[in-house]
Amino acid sequence: MRFEKVSSIGQPPVEGTVSGSVDHLTDLLVASARGDEQAFATLYDQTSSRVYGMVLRVIRDAAQAAEVTQDVYLEVWRQAARFDASRSAVMPWLLMIAHRRAVDRVRSAQSSVERDNRYAELTTDRPYDSVSEQVHISMESQRVRKVMNDLTDAQREAVSLAYFGGYTHNEVADLLQLPLGTVKTRIRDGLIRLRDALGVSS
Amino acid sequence: MSPELHALAGAYALDAIDGDERAAFEDHLAGCPDCAVEVRSLRAAAAELSHISEVSPPAELRSGVLTAITRVRPLPPITDNVIALRQARTSRSVWQVMAAACALIALVAAGWGYQQHRDARNSRNTAISVVDQVLSAADGMSTSGEVGGGHATLVYSKSQKRVVLIGHAIAAPGQDKTYQLWMIAGGKYISAGTFRPDSNGNVNVSASGDLSTSSAMGISVEPAGGSPQPTDVIASMKI
Repeated sequence: MRFEKVSSIGQPPVEGTVSGSVDHLTDLLVASARGDEQAFATLYDQTSSRVYGMVLRVIRDAAQAAEVTQDVYLEVWRQAARFDASRSAVMPWLLMIAHRRAVDRVRSAQSSVERDNRYAELTTDRPYDSVSEQVHISMESQRVRKVMNDLTDAQREAVSLAYFGGYTHNEVADLLQLPLGTVKTRIRDGLIRLRDALGVSS
Repeated sequence: MSPELHALAGAYALDAIDGDERAAFEDHLAGCPDCAVEVRSLRAAAAELSHISEVSPPAELRSGVLTAITRVRPLPPITDNVIALRQARTSRSVWQVMAAACALIALVAAGWGYQQHRDARNSRNTAISVVDQVLSAADGMSTSGEVGGGHATLVYSKSQKRVVLIGHAIAAPGQDKTYQLWMIAGGKYISAGTFRPDSNGNVNVSASGDLSTSSAMGISVEPAGGSPQPTDVIASMKI
């Protein structure tokens, strides 16, 4: 163990996503940080279907998904002042918090057995793009679906199992009966392709 | 950087790595701007996937959230806390944990590894960005106290295997002497390196090492070059 000079991490900022409402969401979050409950309500209205939908897809149980989503928004309210617009757009930040909480929930020991059953449902009845009557068919969702369909089957499967299935890459490797290194590569290559095709800048 | 670690950027962006592997990647991420940029861009790409799964939440969730926030105070910006942390002067009790540190730890609980305040690129905050990196680990902790007539704050994360020591108004250790930081595990002292304050008494050093078995850290004054075992321990604290 040796001392070294503390140096700046120096990470360049990340641009927002292609969504046109990014600046607006940032304004709402900034106002929320100052305690503006109305701004936070608007932020909730404009983001909650994406947050709740993703959490629901990962957790599968509506009551638990609502509970986790509420925790996510409470955390966002608390941490609003710590959001740094120069480093991330609002939606990736919000969804990162939500996804982390959702996977933490499904990975807890209590739900491990249930999840095995869920995987069976996922693979038989629920392909990644399955829709229910509640699902929004927005322009954006059509665009993302199209790009997902342009991925190789292998990339799409690995990315979907990790993101929507909430599985670790080790679990994905076991499920697909592939070497771990192959799964790592598929996930990364799939995301890079998604990023580039969607014009998400870095 | 190693291709092995780089390959993990995608899995990390999807929260598909856990435990030691996650900690090891975050440790690497703290010192690899290329990886950090890639992880952010891949997270932004992953966020787009949520368009596919969009579902209107139940109406009662909205009222539940909006009622709940009225009972929760938004945290202040991190900049204020860090400045408070750096300027605070506590009582003489050694290694007293300060409220400001607790506030930072609360932030850390969410594990928002990449959040840093806007001024992180300004030179005055050079050290803070590293502190943020450590504090943003799920187990990032901070403690502080009196050392050498001044004030020192130790920020550490066992999972990131990293320690940052920030000190102000620390007296010079004396001619031909040096300060030495120690990890204390099972009553044994393991050197974590030596340091000297600059001419203004400031200390700003980081170190990496396995803290998993350490129960405390200590600071001693040693002959120049350091010692294999401490001779004059002037401060210690539990971690």
